[in-house]
Amino acid sequence: MAQPRVLVIGGGLAGLSATMRLAELGLDVDLVSLVPVKRSHSVCAQGGINSVNALTRQQGDSEWKHLDDTVYGGDFLQHQPPVKEMADWGPRIIDLMDRLGVPFNRTSEGFRDQRRFGGTLYKRTAFAGATTGQQLLYALDEQVRRWEAAGKVKKWEFWDFLGPVLDDTGRCRGAVCQDLVTMQFKAFPADAVVLATGGNGLIYGRSTMSMVCTGSAVSRAYRAGAWYGNGEFIQVHPTAIPGADKLRLMSESARGEGGRVWVPRTPQDPRDPRSIPEAERSYFLEERYPKYGNLVPRDIATREIFDICTTDGLSVEKDRLCVYLDLTHIPRETLDRKLGGILEIYEKFQGVDPRVTPMKIFPAVHYSMGGLWVDYEKSKTGGLVEGSIRNQQTNLPGLYAIGECDYQYHGANRLGANSLLSCIFSGLFLAPSLANACGGTPGADTTRLFEAEIRRQEERHRELLGRTAGDENPYALHQELGNLMTRVATVVRRNDQLEAAYDDVCEMARRWKRCAVSDTGNWTNQNVVFTKSLGDMFPIAKLILKGALLRDECRGAHFKPAFAMPGLAATDPVEKRREAEEWCDSFQANTEKWLKSTIAACGPDGDPEISYREIDTSLIPPRPRLYGLVGGDAIEEVWKERQERAATSREAAVPVGAGS
Amino acid sequence: MIKAMEAVADLVTAGADDAAHGGSSRVIRVRVLRQDVAGGESYFERFEVPYEPNMNVISVLQKIAARARSQDGRRVAPVAWDCSCLEEVCGSCTMLINGRTRMACSALVDSLVSTDGDEIELRPMSKFPVVRDLVVDRRRVFRGLEKVKAWVPVEGSYDLGPGPRISPEDQEDAYPLTECMSCGCCLEACPQYMKIETVRRDDESESDFEKRRKAAFDSGFVGAHAISQAMLFNSHPTGRMIADERLEALTAKGGIQMCGNAQNCVAVCPKHIPLTRSIARAGRAATVWAIKRLFDR
Amino acid sequence: MSDSSPSFLERHQFLIYRLFSLAGLIPIGAFVAVHLLTNASILAGDDGRTFQSRVDMIHSLGPLLVPIEWAFIFLPLLFHAAIGFVIIANGMPNVGSYSYVGNVRYTLQRATGMIAFAFIVWHIVQLHWLGKPFGGGQFDPHRAASTAAEALQPTLVAIFYAIGVLATVFHFSNGLWTLGITWGLWTSPAAMRRANVISIVIGVGLATAGLGALAGMRSIDVPRAREAETWAEKQKHALSGPGAAVAPVPIPNAH
Repeated sequence: MAQPRVLVIGGGLAGLSATMRLAELGLDVDLVSLVPVKRSHSVCAQGGINSVNALTRQQGDSEWKHLDDTVYGGDFLQHQPPVKEMADWGPRIIDLMDRLGVPFNRTSEGFRDQRRFGGTLYKRTAFAGATTGQQLLYALDEQVRRWEAAGKVKKWEFWDFLGPVLDDTGRCRGAVCQDLVTMQFKAFPADAVVLATGGNGLIYGRSTMSMVCTGSAVSRAYRAGAWYGNGEFIQVHPTAIPGADKLRLMSESARGEGGRVWVPRTPQDPRDPRSIPEAERSYFLEERYPKYGNLVPRDIATREIFDICTTDGLSVEKDRLCVYLDLTHIPRETLDRKLGGILEIYEKFQGVDPRVTPMKIFPAVHYSMGGLWVDYEKSKTGGLVEGSIRNQQTNLPGLYAIGECDYQYHGANRLGANSLLSCIFSGLFLAPSLANACGGTPGADTTRLFEAEIRRQEERHRELLGRTAGDENPYALHQELGNLMTRVATVVRRNDQLEAAYDDVCEMARRWKRCAVSDTGNWTNQNVVFTKSLGDMFPIAKLILKGALLRDECRGAHFKPAFAMPGLAATDPVEKRREAEEWCDSFQANTEKWLKSTIAACGPDGDPEISYREIDTSLIPPRPRLYGLVGGDAIEEVWKERQERAATSREAAVPVGAGS
Repeated sequence: MIKAMEAVADLVTAGADDAAHGGSSRVIRVRVLRQDVAGGESYFERFEVPYEPNMNVISVLQKIAARARSQDGRRVAPVAWDCSCLEEVCGSCTMLINGRTRMACSALVDSLVSTDGDEIELRPMSKFPVVRDLVVDRRRVFRGLEKVKAWVPVEGSYDLGPGPRISPEDQEDAYPLTECMSCGCCLEACPQYMKIETVRRDDESESDFEKRRKAAFDSGFVGAHAISQAMLFNSHPTGRMIADERLEALTAKGGIQMCGNAQNCVAVCPKHIPLTRSIARAGRAATVWAIKRLFDR
Repeated sequence: MSDSSPSFLERHQFLIYRLFSLAGLIPIGAFVAVHLLTNASILAGDDGRTFQSRVDMIHSLGPLLVPIEWAFIFLPLLFHAAIGFVIIANGMPNVGSYSYVGNVRYTLQRATGMIAFAFIVWHIVQLHWLGKPFGGGQFDPHRAASTAAEALQPTLVAIFYAIGVLATVFHFSNGLWTLGITWGLWTSPAAMRRANVISIVIGVGLATAGLGALAGMRSIDVPRAREAETWAEKQKHALSGPGAAVAPVPIPNAH
């Protein structure tokens, strides 16, 4: 039997953690990446990584509460067993990263320090300055380099994944990739192919994501038959620094360390922000959400910032929407120690010192909660069966997805500092599954399959190179797509806009076929690579729009004003109670209708075929997400009573004596 | 409220459009040192892009790519360059901007023009083989990290409890070194770091070539970044368990002794990493280690 | 593979470079410092008598002087110079693009190294007896001040000496500072700054001594110095010769 070989696409946190663990389990790994793996987008993650820890445990925290915060923050749209398993692994993962040398900030005693992040009341987030993602990535990069030196890992950097190669039974038998320097094609036969290719922010033109986050690898798998889940759920990060080329992230840790969001009560107050007295400032998040304050979940903070600027007209500037994020009340020394990295970014790109002057920020597209649909096997205790070959497997056997490019962990909205955890967890957890899946009886000879696929890819490449006479500019088309997507499919969504945008994207996809390439050479041709990945954006853009269009409700990051459930208007207790009952009725009805994963399968022409799947909510029953809602207390009361009644009736249904 | 929010949804992108189309008719002239293939001839080509306030060199290059025309209106292939994060943490976009090594993403046009005049010159890094235009092959940077074993030699990745306790002082001492993004600025500016270019021979297998290239890399100066990483891991409680192996690598050919103390590395480091401190610490450690080895052997 | 067997120099690069660094301080640097300070004794204002007595002290080593010179001066110097040229050949100064102080010093260190070497070779040929076959060797240890002064009279020679001395002193004192980094004596930027101050003080001191000696040599009254030397020689002769008991020759024009 041949030595099992795994092909990992993408060298961010997920890809590297999988590679490290796979090598450790004795498998050979080919690691393909668009950029040297150390330059993957994970470096941009700033704030930290969540897990229950000794301190929070003593304040009443537990893995269960981490699970609860995650699914509540995600509006119950995720299957709960994988989230439970992830929360359970949290402490071990932090310990591991600590052992690998990640320079986590320390308490005076030398233990890891933690900060608080959005969507939780506990200080669950371990951090390394304001460059936690970079530090975690480097630690894994170093271990993988170690395995590379030992000959277990072979890196293929500056290589592009062009698509999985499936055999007649639909099983993935490897992939075809392209060298971005020599533009040569190569077959990578593998016992398993793992996609760890991150998000797709470039579909939105400018976002907080890196230039490699085109989503093209996922799109290629999707078009080969892999399902895409929850595509319409795109996280818009509340605080980013607007820029012409990129919207640079301002980490949630800025608020975690005490940063306050505010606007002057006078619209476009021309005064220096420092000279505006407290009474004339509106700390709107703290005012509207006294419990969580500036640390409400991201979708809510985003909508509130958006709202205060647009509805209330209180944007700090007139032509550019923005609010203040203020750190100036925190001692400089503390800021430098805990947030130095991100403050430097602000200073460097804006030319203003955020330690002295409040920052100006505005929401930006940040994370794809959706991604390739993946399977799991539930254990008896409600978590996952370790080593099950179903874990993280797409609907195409032999093709797996981990990290941001799977849809599994964050539901309708991701909590801050959970992404690093989900990436490392899914990578580590996948490895034993692959060890079990690989190395069975070798399948039929695949040479023919790969030859055919390489021919197909060469054909596509040649066709693109030949397009010199077209009248469309790929870069302009990309900008157009980005503007459209940002306008209709971010913070606020409306059916008429989504419907029109869907048609527009279909038209753009057709126009893409007329894109002229300005570089017809066959050496480091970035022009043709970009054009190719632009073409791959349309199917994903379509499924985002279609998913958003069909989902007539508000859930997490997906906000449709026409289907919002406003708070209670009544003040009279009896009336309020009645309204709360009604509210809960409609919530229940909505849950029954919409608490489902959106599954997109690629149809002809890249049009999605949308279906819905039930969600495993067996651990924590869905409940209304009430952060700061008017009348939330009354709703909560009614909901609790209903839950209790339901529980009693369940017990009553159990025959007497059965429990003893 | 909801109605109003719907009505102004378009405002989100308005800023972007303004930025893209607004501004005066002022242009930025750019001179790019181009090279079509590895080992090919290099030549300058001039471009013009419309000026926008607050633009950086990346957005200049993006505009050049979108336009794909030289200053005199000829259709030319877009300039190739490396970039990814655009916020100075990935280390991709190092190039020579007006003759000096730096990250293109954080090179703001306004300040370049105000200090160096209204033409911007872009050249590929000179210490690494050019792949195309501004794209260079920096594999040697990563080979340096491998050479000095820049990792914590953990015994597997299974759960064995937390890492060692570390005082906040030690963490703060080490943290700046961990920010090294392998951009190569320190190497480009180092007068002791010479370009090494190996070309595969026709009769050579991939793995033989790989071996020969590694040997060639190892014969040259390992560089400030690798020395600093070696010192980082030699200061980590677990990392230091193979401190001697790192010192052995640092005192091999192309090691620490090649440093000429020009201290350009620390001056050009975009992350302000105290590289010369690392180099001096490595010098001290190598001194002690060499003497000990002399007497203990 | 043909190009993969490392040479002796490559295999022992670290050791050789460290010896190179050390040699710059001991013995070469130390000798340079002593040499310049000895020369500065010409400024005592006694027509070179103190200077002569220092020279005599050195030459009292007699036949041992030759091996000592070779072991502690010429061979280390040749070694330091040879490795220095290897280092220079393997570097590429870029002070045009990066005009930081450190980089300027790096470049000057190499330039002054080359100047100093050229100067020292010429200096030896001109004054040391080894230069005799080449028409040099003008320095007579028994007539130290006067022969030195005569050799330094031409203006061009004096200019060359001034340049050579300054280059040597810069090379030494800057090298002292880099040596401290190389060996890890000062590691933090603050310590490097403090060490830098010390190296500047040493450099300025030695430059003063060197240029002072040069000026002093050129300004002494050669006939009177010669007189003093003749007297001293006679004196020595008298002390060591058969008539040792005879009373010493009176000192002419002693101040």
